[in-house]
Amino acid sequence: MKVLARAKRLDQRTLLLCLLTALVAVSVVSLLVGAGSVSPLRAFSMLLGSEDSDAHFVVWELRAPRTLIGIAVGMALGVSGALLQAVARNPLAEPGLLGVSAGAAFAVALALVLGASAASLRISVAQVGALAGCLCVLGVARWRGVGNDPIRLVLAGAAFSALLGALTSLMLLFDQRSADEVRFWVIGSLAGRRLDDLWAVLPSMAFCTALIALIARPLSALALGERMASGLGHHPQLIRALVVLCVALLVGAATAIAGPIIFVGLVVPFIARAFAGPDIRRTLWFCLPIGPLIILAADIISRVVVAPSELPLGVLTALCGAPVLIAAVRARRLPML
Amino acid sequence: MTPRWLKPEFRKQGAAALLSSAPLTSTAEDAPVTPPSGYWWWGGRGASVLIEQRAVWVNLGLLLALVLASIAYLCLGSLALDPREVIGALAGQGSMMTTFMVQELRLPRLVAACLTGGAFALAGILMQTLARNRLATPGIIGIDNGATAFAVASVVGLSVSLAPSAMALTGAVTAAVLTFGLAAGSGTQGYRFIVAGIGVGAVFGAITQLLLARVAIDTANAAYPWTVGSLNARAGGSVQLLAVGLALGLIAALALARSLTILRFSEATANGLGVNAKARRMQILLLSVVLTALAVAVAGPVGMVGLIGPEIARALSTPRHVPVVAATLSGALVMVLADLAGRTLLAPIELPVGIVTAIIGGPWLLWILMRPQRSHA
Repeated sequence: MKVLARAKRLDQRTLLLCLLTALVAVSVVSLLVGAGSVSPLRAFSMLLGSEDSDAHFVVWELRAPRTLIGIAVGMALGVSGALLQAVARNPLAEPGLLGVSAGAAFAVALALVLGASAASLRISVAQVGALAGCLCVLGVARWRGVGNDPIRLVLAGAAFSALLGALTSLMLLFDQRSADEVRFWVIGSLAGRRLDDLWAVLPSMAFCTALIALIARPLSALALGERMASGLGHHPQLIRALVVLCVALLVGAATAIAGPIIFVGLVVPFIARAFAGPDIRRTLWFCLPIGPLIILAADIISRVVVAPSELPLGVLTALCGAPVLIAAVRARRLPML
Repeated sequence: MTPRWLKPEFRKQGAAALLSSAPLTSTAEDAPVTPPSGYWWWGGRGASVLIEQRAVWVNLGLLLALVLASIAYLCLGSLALDPREVIGALAGQGSMMTTFMVQELRLPRLVAACLTGGAFALAGILMQTLARNRLATPGIIGIDNGATAFAVASVVGLSVSLAPSAMALTGAVTAAVLTFGLAAGSGTQGYRFIVAGIGVGAVFGAITQLLLARVAIDTANAAYPWTVGSLNARAGGSVQLLAVGLALGLIAALALARSLTILRFSEATANGLGVNAKARRMQILLLSVVLTALAVAVAGPVGMVGLIGPEIARALSTPRHVPVVAATLSGALVMVLADLAGRTLLAPIELPVGIVTAIIGGPWLLWILMRPQRSHA
């Protein structure tokens, strides 16, 4: 915390630049390190220009797409976490914890069991599922008494996720073929994703970026309270609806590629707020490098720890996210958003 | 100082009693005993007990329901049997096939269902009373997940050759220590404690996945029932261990019943009424954790039973006591019915019992959360 306090005094632009540099460094490491037989040294000399077809294939065909997808997923999850927390005014609101990812996963499992298999279909289905999950969560949050208590909302989300998880496994029991397809996807992993998956989600991510650029200002006004926001000429209901749309599109896209990865949406805004302070606009800027940093770091660790096999990414994010959740809960007073 | 004859307790007896030298004691021996309404009084001069009539009827009713459900459980399945055939097979008279099916296949599974359901529900009501929070069941605060992670570790063989029960016990104790330790600052009341438990549960869930990811696919499939909760893969001696544990646990819970009733009030009240709150809490926690671990070693994390069983028992009973026996019976009933549904509803596909209870228990949990808050358990 002391380090963070000192860091806050630094110029935030410098800090952002440092984070971006770190992201580039981690991306390079992600290209170099892997579970396979191509050692970091071999990969490095290939990058410098030596002829090595094996290393060329592994680095450019396997690790590079994976790194790019990791960056996209990290950005989407981090930003959606910050947005959901701002709109629910709850520092614990996280897409994974509140059941938005579970909704997306449920929708994808349903589509697979019903016979769908096209990649683009899967993404739109996941986004619809995430939207339904989002609406449920916010409906519950506006319920009398529950929304005022951030912790109760998390509990409701956990119950909701558990229910959807049970329904997902129920459906997979019917269909062994999709069960094998989904079982590894359900845990959350970046392994074996192709670049096509990324191109399929890019349009919706670009759309979200434009939308966020439009609503960032009104959203930070909303943090002052509904009345204040209306007084400043914004439309709170419209902003909320747009934010929910954004979160659903982003979480749906990330879930469709990488499976439900929980806790990233909690950890990233938590760190970003420590750097950026309470303003949502700055927080969003900081979420952009921090999300991919965490995802890539977790992905690298997941490749190395149990080599030659791989660890699902969701396992690692849960391992590092749960302590943050506990720390946030232990704090005597939750920061109000 | 008030004169003795002005004190209210002596006023009725009048001046005559004061003037006589007879001691002013209560005259219980002479008065006929009239028990409070709704109770049976039973006993002699030395010792006597009050039995709540409603509790007796509730427990008998639950027992009857459990017996009926058990007969249905033995009858229904991939091959439906007549109740008379079942009873004949239980007595050892009947065709080879029905005898084998009832005695070797369905009866052991029924026994396992009853025992695990009872143990989960008993552990649930103990934990709820201890934490004074109806959401604080072992399944929700991560103890199930801890036990599961360690049980899976013993199945996938991480160079430790302990039985699943012993490993599950270790895991459950670890998770309990972590949850209670980490939530120490925020107290057991309120939702913070529960969310800390959810965090601990998430860590152990991740560890389970980690263990499953490390091993070959066949071993992972062998350990899979433990991750969803199923009565299909019961490890050898763990059922017998659970039977002994549940019997002893029920006796211990009955011995603790009076303390449990009083612990629902504040710690100061409990201490004032002569209950050593701290020691009793420790005993209750230990009992609950052990019961959870033994049950997880048999069936995996079917934690929702620990939420549903006590809810049913509380709805049926009066709030004067903690319905320990009723909770155990209703837990067993829920488990038997859930496994029966899982076996028969979608036949030939068999639903793991953990999924059935999650589908019933999830909405129930949401309903508890969504209701306007009135009182804690």
